[in-house]
Amino acid sequence: MSGHAAHAEQAIAARLMAKASLLLQDRRPAEALPLLDRLHHLPRVPDKAREARAMALLALGRYGDAASAAGEALDALPGAAVLLHLRGRARLALGQDVEALDDAAAAVMADSASTDAKGLMADVLMKLGKADEAIFLAWRVTEALPDDMPAHLRLAQAFIMGGRHAAAEELLAALEARAPKLALPIALRAQNRLLMHDAPEAERITRTALDRGMVEVSLHSVLAHALVTQSRLAEAGLHFRAAARLAPHDAYLAHLASAAEGGTPDRATDAYVSAVFDGYAGRFEAELLGMGYRVPGLVRLAVDRWLAEIGADTIPGPVLDLGCGTGLVGVALLGLTGAGLCGIDLSRNMIAETRAKGIYTELHQAEFSVALARLQARYALVAAADLFCYFGDLDTALRGAAARLAPDGRMMFSVELSPAPDGWELGDSGRYRHSLAHVSAALRQAGLVALTVSPETLRHNGGEPVAGLFVIARRQDC
Amino acid sequence: MSAALQTPFTAGLAALHRDDPAAAVPWLELALAQGEGGAYASLNLGMALTTLARFNEAAPHLRHALQALPELPEPGVRLGVIAATRGDTAEARARYEDVLRRHPRHVPALAGLASLAEKSGALDQAAALVARARAVEPDEPELDFAAARLALAAHDAIGAASLAEAVLHRRPCHALAAQVLARALLLAQPPAAALARLDHLADAAPFSPAWALAQGFVLAQLDQVEPAIAAFQLADTIAPGNPDILGELGRLLARQDRAEEALATLLPALAARPANLEWRNLAATLLWRRHRYAEMVAMLRDGIAEFGPHPTLNLNLALVLNAQGRQQDALDAADAAVAHAPGNLAALVNRIAVLPYHETLGTAATLAAAAADIAAALPATPPLPAVARGARSKLRVGMLSGGFGVHPVGWLTLAGLEALPEHRFEITAYSLKPRRDALNARFRARAARWREVAEPDDSALARQIQADEIDILIDMGGYGDTGRPFVLTQRPAPLQLKWVGSQFGTTGLPGVDFMLTDRWETPAGFEPFYSERLLRLPDGYVCYLPPSYAPAVSPLPALANGHVTFGCFNNLAKLTPAVLRLWARLLREMPDARLVIRTHALSDPGTRTLAQQRFAAAGLPLARMELHGGCPHTEMLASYTTIDIALDPFPYTGGLTVCEALFMGVPVVSLAGDSFAGRHALSHLSNVGLPDWVATDAEGYLARVQAAAADLPALAALRAGLRQRVLASPLCDAPRFGTNLAAALEAAWAAA
Repeated sequence: MSGHAAHAEQAIAARLMAKASLLLQDRRPAEALPLLDRLHHLPRVPDKAREARAMALLALGRYGDAASAAGEALDALPGAAVLLHLRGRARLALGQDVEALDDAAAAVMADSASTDAKGLMADVLMKLGKADEAIFLAWRVTEALPDDMPAHLRLAQAFIMGGRHAAAEELLAALEARAPKLALPIALRAQNRLLMHDAPEAERITRTALDRGMVEVSLHSVLAHALVTQSRLAEAGLHFRAAARLAPHDAYLAHLASAAEGGTPDRATDAYVSAVFDGYAGRFEAELLGMGYRVPGLVRLAVDRWLAEIGADTIPGPVLDLGCGTGLVGVALLGLTGAGLCGIDLSRNMIAETRAKGIYTELHQAEFSVALARLQARYALVAAADLFCYFGDLDTALRGAAARLAPDGRMMFSVELSPAPDGWELGDSGRYRHSLAHVSAALRQAGLVALTVSPETLRHNGGEPVAGLFVIARRQDC
Repeated sequence: MSAALQTPFTAGLAALHRDDPAAAVPWLELALAQGEGGAYASLNLGMALTTLARFNEAAPHLRHALQALPELPEPGVRLGVIAATRGDTAEARARYEDVLRRHPRHVPALAGLASLAEKSGALDQAAALVARARAVEPDEPELDFAAARLALAAHDAIGAASLAEAVLHRRPCHALAAQVLARALLLAQPPAAALARLDHLADAAPFSPAWALAQGFVLAQLDQVEPAIAAFQLADTIAPGNPDILGELGRLLARQDRAEEALATLLPALAARPANLEWRNLAATLLWRRHRYAEMVAMLRDGIAEFGPHPTLNLNLALVLNAQGRQQDALDAADAAVAHAPGNLAALVNRIAVLPYHETLGTAATLAAAAADIAAALPATPPLPAVARGARSKLRVGMLSGGFGVHPVGWLTLAGLEALPEHRFEITAYSLKPRRDALNARFRARAARWREVAEPDDSALARQIQADEIDILIDMGGYGDTGRPFVLTQRPAPLQLKWVGSQFGTTGLPGVDFMLTDRWETPAGFEPFYSERLLRLPDGYVCYLPPSYAPAVSPLPALANGHVTFGCFNNLAKLTPAVLRLWARLLREMPDARLVIRTHALSDPGTRTLAQQRFAAAGLPLARMELHGGCPHTEMLASYTTIDIALDPFPYTGGLTVCEALFMGVPVVSLAGDSFAGRHALSHLSNVGLPDWVATDAEGYLARVQAAAADLPALAALRAGLRQRVLASPLCDAPRFGTNLAAALEAAWAAA
């Protein structure tokens, strides 16, 4: 390249960088990105361009690419707090919480004054269910940035999560007074009230905001939940629907809207299940145990009896845990799964939780039927605890599970019980309930024969027992 | 050469040589005045002025040069270019052919003639002319570009792409060549492959603007406007200030409603390419959106003076003159556009859009006649083929509008639509303008389906509506800014209605079955003015949603001021000479009274001066008037606290403005006409129980105002209770409106 051409190229590069920075400041990452992509053709890519590119990708929600771009930038500039923060943000969005925590910690170490790094750390800790630590860090950020609304909202969320409802209420009321046109503090305050078992007040807060002409997904969604808690399902349906329309890509809201309206798709969409549990993973276990969730215990009890029957110390073959969640069945079967324990779940975050337990020998993050089709092995025990409440028709699901059952194996599963004489229904909570007749017919269709079908209280929801069936079955052909 | 040694003529030539025609003009004019340079001074001056698109000034110089220097081809070619730009094809052709008789190998004349042939569809002839020119000048990229264009027109995608690529290698900022390349690539292969080809070219030359430009065109053609803008921004950053790139970027920014940014790129582009009529019209409409009316008028008038009465220039001129309150001038411009292009639908729509404001012609009968002209000019569009429709428990209602948000359509329909029973009606919104505001969010929360449809053409939109199996399609845009009423002529839904959104009279359109109205807007006997059947709601035809942020009603200001303050917050288009004269009489008869006029057009300095002149000419006392420009909505509502009585204009009466005044405690005196627009105020005032505030003639109007002003205690009492009265009235009773609307739609459905 001639000196003149090189000079011209440098001038272009300087303009591209300057313009891209302006566009990023104006929150136009989609327009900044092509400019930054061009800069990557330079023989030596400027560090600032690498950082800006990771930033643009993150803002565009291309988290995988953002993490890679930040990683590349870190190769060139190891330990840079800004880059660690960017990668941590991307990883957090990808559900790589542990890695995100590493990045956040490294970013805080690299720049102890960085509020971005501390904020990220607080967000990760919240996701990991470590409320007290999250509160501490979130509070430090608000100290440094007393006028920063998102920082204060983060602190409020951490308070809520840590069960410090009075503190959350006080903070949110102050934020609301400071920015009365902002919906989020109001929605959070209502949610806080809901968690304090004060649904009428949650309803009042959100309705007042909506009457003031505020429109926001969160307001409709919290109001709908408050109405569900008060058993006013028809009214809740209106607001779930409004929320779903305002967030057309949110499978969780779409499903709840459909459930509240009495729509009955034949199974919950994968996106819904994934959304519910990805949001839930950190506190799933505590919630279930708090609700008196009994199914893993029932599985353990049944396995103990079975082993006594056959005179074995451990389950005579590998175990398949369908919809393993955070691995509660694995915990219940601790010491009995000598031949291997394979878990399948749709939720990345659930799988991460399960992996952290170190009990399962094999884990697959996949949709149930896809994973079943991929598996080759036969399993001595196939367990499906609290999985079929996401399926309407059980025929296919049971057939798929039965196909992986060893000849002398046991299938154990729970369903929520529908009082209807036959068929299945989508309940108000968005979960499916099955009639005894449907379960029996589906077992037959799947080539399974029931050894025991026992009515059980599966757990308590809002103090009310959730009635269900616990089924132990084996293959009919054996 | 130092400047001191130059003569005016040589200085002019030097400026032309460095491509600075603006600098050349004064030197050459001086040379001409001093007799220096002879006919060559005329020729060069004519050429400089042509480049600057100052055609009227250029032409005489060029004609003089042609006469004095008949052997030279340039004067004739330049005169041909001027004629071609003005749309005078015959003269342009004669000029080029004349040059070619003397200079058969003259490339610009061949190219000019080829361009005329291409525009007339004689592609073979054009190709032959371009081939002749290329034989003379094989290295001229512009000829390659012409060949590329022709190849594309002949569906030779590969040939076109290869020629356009060759042009771009040599002239990387050639936006039009990039456009041809984009079209050719998309014609030859799927979009992903087209983009991959351009990525490949860009990888090889990442700092050439050419490939970013072509990517931008591909993306724009695929309606991916944001990525297309990004690509053009990239091209502009690589080659800053290039007018062709700026122009394209401006076009896309305008499509995204980013008016300020679009103007910032288009105005410099237009300064460099003043003869680009498309950019001129686009820039004019952007000035319109920013309420920069005086600049817009100047830009359009310049265009018409230089390039002739192109219909689009006149259409835009009519709109802006109307917005400035010059209704007669507006109608003249609209008529000129119609006369220049008889049967042109855009011109007829433009005419009906300004007609209801005219002080004598804004009547139901003239509007019905104008609508009939539109219907008569409609091309024969066969209705969409019938399709099988599934049985459903709810009626599917489609709403077509660009006003789903903070817009009169929003304030006057949202509350009623929210109250339309969900279990009986399923709403699909076809949004003709992307909006993001609080009212828009409420529309989204109400609509089961949301479709942004600004981009697809009428036929595609009609097919989309049909595919959605809409039962009842409601047009809520009419002949307004973003309206697409002709979609209805293709009959995408079995039942089609007109409601709100430029609802100033009949649509006249086949396919519009009903007009939603009320007994005040269209009492019995008004049927002959409407091609639609009149579907009268039991109360008013709209439901007003008062803003939650409206300030409190104040005590009557006259009690503290000691004089009455009148106010009118309607746009200037509604303030006809007759209105101004009547108000002048009122203020003469009430020497203490004051008048406040507030509207966004008064923020524009040129328009404000013009308005002051018009007010003074009508006899209004400027010293007792306050003129205010636009302001945020809350502030506008708050300024009603200074108004005692609102004066409504006519024949186009206030709609939302009346509702807002009433909600702010300010009663409105109105004069009802017979057009739909002429009875908006009557409908709203009757709906809140104040029909006696509506006069039927000017004398009655004056008398009503004076009576109200003479009894301040009564006015104060009315004001104190007016908001509550409005809220309790059917005008704001959303549940009642929802029930009525539901019943009306079901009745129309049953009758269809």
